[in-house]
Amino acid sequence: MSRRFAALAALAVVCAGVELVAGRGMSPAVVWDVLGGGGDATERHIFLQLRLPRLLVALGAGACLAVAGLVLQSALRNPLAGPEVTGVTPGAVLGAVTATALGLAGWDSPLAVVLAACAGGCAGAALLWLLAGRGGGDAAQTAVHGVLVSAVLGGLTAMVLLVEPGELGSVVQWLVGTTEGRVWQHWHLLWPWALAWGAAAWLLAGPLTLLRCGDDIALAAGLSARRARTLALLCAVALTAGAVAAVGALGFVGLLAPHLAVALFGADLRASLPGAALVGAVVVCGADAAAQLSSRLLAEVLGSGRLTLPVGALTACLGAALLLVVVRRTPSRTF
Amino acid sequence: MKALFSAPAAADGTVGARRPARRAGGWQPLLVVALLTVSSVCALSLGTPYVPPHRLAGTVLDGDTTLAGIVVTELRVPRLVLALVAGACLGAAGLVLQEALRNPLAVPEMLGVSSGAALGVAAPLVLTLSLPAAVQPFLAIGGAALGGGLTLLAAGLGRSPSAVLLTGAAVAAALQAALLVLMVMADQLDLQLIYRYLLGSLSARTWDDVAGLWPWLLVAAPALVLCAPVLSVMRLGDEDAEALGVRAQRARLAALAIAVVLIAPVTAVCGPVAWVGFLAPHLARWFNPAAGAVRWLSWSAAWGAVVVTVADVPARLALAPVETPVGAWTALLGVPAGVALMRAGGRGRGLGRVRRGTAGSGPGGVSLRPGEATGTEDAR
Repeated sequence: MSRRFAALAALAVVCAGVELVAGRGMSPAVVWDVLGGGGDATERHIFLQLRLPRLLVALGAGACLAVAGLVLQSALRNPLAGPEVTGVTPGAVLGAVTATALGLAGWDSPLAVVLAACAGGCAGAALLWLLAGRGGGDAAQTAVHGVLVSAVLGGLTAMVLLVEPGELGSVVQWLVGTTEGRVWQHWHLLWPWALAWGAAAWLLAGPLTLLRCGDDIALAAGLSARRARTLALLCAVALTAGAVAAVGALGFVGLLAPHLAVALFGADLRASLPGAALVGAVVVCGADAAAQLSSRLLAEVLGSGRLTLPVGALTACLGAALLLVVVRRTPSRTF
Repeated sequence: MKALFSAPAAADGTVGARRPARRAGGWQPLLVVALLTVSSVCALSLGTPYVPPHRLAGTVLDGDTTLAGIVVTELRVPRLVLALVAGACLGAAGLVLQEALRNPLAVPEMLGVSSGAALGVAAPLVLTLSLPAAVQPFLAIGGAALGGGLTLLAAGLGRSPSAVLLTGAAVAAALQAALLVLMVMADQLDLQLIYRYLLGSLSARTWDDVAGLWPWLLVAAPALVLCAPVLSVMRLGDEDAEALGVRAQRARLAALAIAVVLIAPVTAVCGPVAWVGFLAPHLARWFNPAAGAVRWLSWSAAWGAVVVTVADVPARLALAPVETPVGAWTALLGVPAGVALMRAGGRGRGLGRVRRGTAGSGPGGVSLRPGEATGTEDAR
């Protein structure tokens, strides 16, 4: 187990290294120079003010999304319940887009965007709660309602975007999820939030492991299943909202990373929750590095500098492939 | 899932719930006709220039001699016809999917069919490949078949309704992500166009667009007539259907194919008008809970036409000079209304069972409704 953690941590370091040198504009040698204290002002600025915060935001957001996904999957006992299908991500997107359209928040004031995304995410989850709470916490029902809530919120987002079409260009990048142009301000907003709610998730690891076994066993073990599930959902919503506010609706990390984590570390959440955080960080960071490398390649091949591949595209492709594997691997199970 | 559909059944007095349902069934044709008339007149007369309803006929006969005549015959009438046809197609396709998968939530949007079709249409737009307009429906069909097939295969052909649903949601999300990537690559002007298209819009459609739909309708209509009786048998459940000589899996694939043929051309012309395929079948069922799949099919098509035509009026006029896409309105209104109807349908089912228990099995005596089927399957 600890060997796996070590391997994963090493992988994270490698990904971080690749991410630092992958961008356009500076060669690896220059990066090394800057690390040693050399380089001119522009290079130092690129490295310290752009690449470093981008790397940290990618790591943090990946960890947040992965933990949120694992918590959701455990609480709802549903291997397909990522934040994307429970109304949390669409709600956060709606909140941020609405705030931008109303002029309350701009892309130059990240704090307002974070707050608006959190409010939206909570609203999405609350809507789900209103719809599903009556049914007594049945897992499949909650998930189904989540899909419907996502649909309504998506429609609202579309309306807002059409009323305010000037924002469309900048928002679309963010709808698919990207780490481009993230600065220290984003990181300073992300990490306290992530740390607080990550700690809460860690405290819930034991009850969540019981919930994974089913309500009957959890009740027999003396756990108030309903209360534990509520707390877990709250925790997942907060983590997702923070991550969405930082990097946008990064597709399928909340679905992909938990499955990898459970495969690596087993179903005991006390081990696999930190594992999921690591896996999520590795996945987002690696995908970002790959996206940067490939957009660099594309730019060289096509000869146009303005084409950039958003990270969300890569994670969504990976997630879709994994999804098929997951569903096929559990043929007899009714979700 | 079970609680979602059956919880209210026991609580409410079945006798009390019975009368409104029957009365509503009687009102259905009247309501459909009234709504269609009102929204058609609104669609034809409101806007700039305003044509008073009593002068509509004269204006149409004027043809292209007056400005109002040109606007009505060349812009408003094709738009209205397109709304009617598209709505009917989407409503029928929704019912076929829901009945075949015995899942009240099996909607084109949730199965990835709509997103696939949209991807097939949007990709050449963004990549600036110039293709003849006749190829577009084929691309849409390819995309829709890809999305729907992927979902059904991944979920194991309707194993459990919520599994199909969640897989479909994930597949649809993946296809949406692919679309968003395409949109990121597009420039600002293209982006606006594509975004409008992706939400489903009827603006600036002409007779050419309507003409593009007819050949597909000619294919789909006989297929619908042929598959309707099979759908009623499918409602009995897989085992009973097999016993009656229906190959369930094959019938399901055929239903998906029909739905794809119905949805893809509509998507190619006016974009994915969302959630019509969800609302229309539930409306048809709510008004006439005791009827079979055959009658629901026609009513579902009628309700689909009503929904799209009604939604197109605010889409055209709400924020007037700016057009809002009709798909956004159908999504906003369709999902809450559909969910409410689905819940009410659970109540209606309880009544259906009681009534049949007392009256014996009539011609529409198939007692398994989609909601009930999901309930039993989940309980198993």
